[in-house]
Amino acid sequence: MSQIWKTAIVESFNRFLGKVLIFLPNLLAMLTILLIGLLLAWIVKKMMIHFLKAIQFDKMSEQWGLGRILSKGGLNYSPTHLLGRFFYWVIVLIALILGINALEVAATQSLITQFFNFLPHLFAALGILVIGYLISVFLGQAALIAAVNAHMESAKTLSLAVRWFIIILSLTMALYHLGIAEKVIVAAFSIIFGGIVLALAIAFGWGGRELAKEFLEGLSKRRKEEGQDKISHL
Amino acid sequence: MEHSFLSQLKQIGEADLLIGIPSYNNVRTIGHVVRAVMGGLAKYFPKERAVIINSDGGSTDGTQDEVRRVQIEDYRAILTTHPVHPIHKIVTPYHGIPGKGSAFRVIFEAAIKLRAKACAVVDSDLRSITPEWVELLLRPIYEEGFDYVSPLYARHKFDGTITNSIVYPLTRALYGKRVRQPIGGDFGFSGKLAQFYLTQEVWETDVARFGIDIWMTTLAIAEGYKICQSYLGAKIHDAKDPGSDLGPMFTQVVSSVFGLMETYQSLWKEIHSSQPVPTFGFQYEVGLEPISVNVERMIRNFRLGVKDLMEIWRKALPRERAHRLESIARLSDQEFVFPQELWVQTVYDFAIAYHQGVVHREHLIKSMIPLYLGRVASFVKDNMESSSNEVESKIESLCQIFEELKPDLIERWT
Repeated sequence: MSQIWKTAIVESFNRFLGKVLIFLPNLLAMLTILLIGLLLAWIVKKMMIHFLKAIQFDKMSEQWGLGRILSKGGLNYSPTHLLGRFFYWVIVLIALILGINALEVAATQSLITQFFNFLPHLFAALGILVIGYLISVFLGQAALIAAVNAHMESAKTLSLAVRWFIIILSLTMALYHLGIAEKVIVAAFSIIFGGIVLALAIAFGWGGRELAKEFLEGLSKRRKEEGQDKISHL
Repeated sequence: MEHSFLSQLKQIGEADLLIGIPSYNNVRTIGHVVRAVMGGLAKYFPKERAVIINSDGGSTDGTQDEVRRVQIEDYRAILTTHPVHPIHKIVTPYHGIPGKGSAFRVIFEAAIKLRAKACAVVDSDLRSITPEWVELLLRPIYEEGFDYVSPLYARHKFDGTITNSIVYPLTRALYGKRVRQPIGGDFGFSGKLAQFYLTQEVWETDVARFGIDIWMTTLAIAEGYKICQSYLGAKIHDAKDPGSDLGPMFTQVVSSVFGLMETYQSLWKEIHSSQPVPTFGFQYEVGLEPISVNVERMIRNFRLGVKDLMEIWRKALPRERAHRLESIARLSDQEFVFPQELWVQTVYDFAIAYHQGVVHREHLIKSMIPLYLGRVASFVKDNMESSSNEVESKIESLCQIFEELKPDLIERWT
């Protein structure tokens, strides 16, 4: 009986050892790929920054308006460093995927296939978010300046409303593009904005009739007063 | 260029003088302007071949018909005889970006086709134009060998605030010529200069709109053309709400000035003082109608700007300047004062920010409007009881500060 147990345990251990021996080179391969990947990413980043500085990419970006967009978007990196970092992370990501692939585990390989299929959607969604954010900053600023020049006391609120509307819109679009709870997202978006518009309509049309009247009368009075200013600016 | 317009020009062949009148819905005043121009041509240039061109932006109030209809029935009534050559009138629409600059482009093209020796442009909403304006704008070109005539008007002390607080002092400090009304709107220029203007690729920019006046003046100075100014008397426009145009007017004019600073940076960096330009015309005092100015509203707008736009301004202004603006905003209406020196430094800060592109350029200039209104409010408060001459001395002192602080601008302009 003990012989049977002994055989079973030894065989089991041998099988495990065999699997470890098969897996170990793959693990080493993965670590090597990761190390090489990180090193390569660092070298490429440095070379890229060096090259972009040599061709005065920051100056060119300024002329194209890219620098302004980044600074308005709150990104404090120069276009050169931003591009360098982008290439660094792309290489790191590729190395990571190649490393996982080197493990030759069926589950991870299927996961990688799915990941690669999902990748274009992910990039598109990220693109929508980034562009949406930049547009929101730009239009928010435009609304703020226009409202101040139109003598609106609530200029900042209006600017924030414009900014958040565009951010939420781009977030909705990004999630829709990723296929995450598409119907829920569209319904939630419609309900929120439909609700806001309806609430405002009811507030002004019913609850705030007097307020709306006062507001419009004030606006009209102010316009009349402004009309009295006959200064010619040119 | 329209085919019918081209064939009319071909039919005329050549002309000595050309007067351009840009218009858009000016039926109330354009008849008077055309009559004054015809009278001026008949009275002062009876032997010259002259053409009047109305470059219209698609008026719907009958402006074009009014120009075709207007004639001087009796030349003796204006103490002159019929001109030897008939005065041709052409009415044509212009294409491209709607604006004064696009209208001028058609006039420049016509000047070249007709090989005109001397040209002038006058606004179509003028109520104070007289036949003498035609002589004063054309003769320095036609007989004295000048290339560009800038107008000099008698204006109300609070009129022309963009001119007085930014455009005149800045242009003078930058390019060294004391052209008092660089964006006056009525100019004389030679055919040679018209040809030069037309070769420039600016017709899709703000120059095609309100920026045209400062662009014409700056190019004439910077390119070394012979310039002078003529005293035309009072300038009275058709009544309209001036506040309604402030935003685009301010943006287009100031962005043109700042844009030209980039074009001619190597030139203005070498200029360290200013000289007067030759002036024609008999100068006299004019009684001007009083104008109402809502100072409180301007101060309110300045305070609103300090409250809400400081985040944008900080990208253009050094810290101490931002602090000073904040402290001004805290003053009461009675105490409110926007010092000249602070204004000059602020204008230079914005010019540098425009050049460096730290903020979207249109946003930057639009955000400057509350600052401008703050400065105008301070100027009006300061000069409520001053005479026109005293106001002119204040403008002169502002110009001197612009010139004194120019080395700082040069140093920071990278």
